[in-house]
Amino acid sequence: MTTVYERLSDLLVTKFGVSATEIEPDATFEELELDSLALVEVAMAVQEEFGVDIGDSELTPKHTMTSAVEVLTANGVSV
Amino acid sequence: MPDAVLAGVGAWTPPRIVTNDDLAAYLDTSDEWIYSRTGIRQRRIADPGVATSDLAVEAGARALKSAEIDHVDAVILATTTPDRPCPATAPDVASRLGVTGIAAFDVAAVCSGFLYALAAAAGLIATEVAGTVLVIGAETYSTILNPTDRTTRALFGDGAGAVVLRAGRADEPGALGPFDLGSDGRYAELISIPGGGSRQRSTGRPAPDGDQYFVMQGQPVFRHAIVRMAESALAVIDRAGWRVDDIDRFVAHQANRRILVRVARRLGIPEERCVMNLERVANTAAASIPLALADAVADGRLRPGHRVLLTAFGGGFTWGATTVRWPDITPA
Repeated sequence: MTTVYERLSDLLVTKFGVSATEIEPDATFEELELDSLALVEVAMAVQEEFGVDIGDSELTPKHTMTSAVEVLTANGVSV
Repeated sequence: MPDAVLAGVGAWTPPRIVTNDDLAAYLDTSDEWIYSRTGIRQRRIADPGVATSDLAVEAGARALKSAEIDHVDAVILATTTPDRPCPATAPDVASRLGVTGIAAFDVAAVCSGFLYALAAAAGLIATEVAGTVLVIGAETYSTILNPTDRTTRALFGDGAGAVVLRAGRADEPGALGPFDLGSDGRYAELISIPGGGSRQRSTGRPAPDGDQYFVMQGQPVFRHAIVRMAESALAVIDRAGWRVDDIDRFVAHQANRRILVRVARRLGIPEERCVMNLERVANTAAASIPLALADAVADGRLRPGHRVLLTAFGGGFTWGATTVRWPDITPA
């Protein structure tokens, strides 16, 4: 079964050039080299992919993959 | 009804170069930080005592020379940084260019100002108020930036660009295509100078410290800029009867490399067709599109016959787009 975590990982790999091997539950966006502007683009991509609006400052470079999935889920993202 | 046709182009930037390393000497920033987020390496900064009109006159004179004329019927100046709050700067620029007595006014639409001014000029030509119009975008953002704000100091530079429009036919090279213009005042505060206007003056108290400076909220502006420029561009492509594949050069307001790349990607325009000069001149607001056009003609990236898409986004919010098939003109 596909999870929100897997779909977010796919999106980061396919649209943002993040290396799949670097994506781990505890990896922060900062460690994945996604800065605040890149996260605006991630939020826009999430909107296109899942049809859910994520505010401009809800995802920060300090979020980990796990905590980011929590933000997405809290905003209504589901698979 | 006459159509507006491009007849000349010119640009001017102040000689003083300020690199990212120069900024890093006294601000908490670095060349790597600035370049990775913006695509900017350096900007031109006007010397003390140099005002927007001084840059506008230089660029305007070059555009007139490029068009091989010494008289126009109107001057429109797009700027965020007029010489003074009142009167408009355009009449002074016109007189200093030797054309006293003609229609002259400023357009305030921040980074979209040049496209708004082009549309206004096309209107003057269509209504036969003017047969020739000099449209200038000129800015001295260095005069409104907070010296301690590492973000805005890195983003903006000073400069001016200008074009001459003349009455002609829609099927001529250089004829401006359809315009799309828009605004959304709900976001006025996201790009603003809070102090110095009637809202602050009406309080009877001096502006709070710092309110005389330009402020911008990068993240929401980034998002809206991408969405609005892409939508506006698609609207004019459609109305011009073009397909995205027809576009030879994409000249967007030079705000930030990452915004431009993202807009181009949304439209499906390959990156090699995007004209970018912000690495050398940074974001020059209303001056950025004519400066980029003049640069691209000078270095051969923009050639006669090219189908060109122009789009901009700026404070207000404001945005716009138009198209043009590039004529055989060269900067003076």
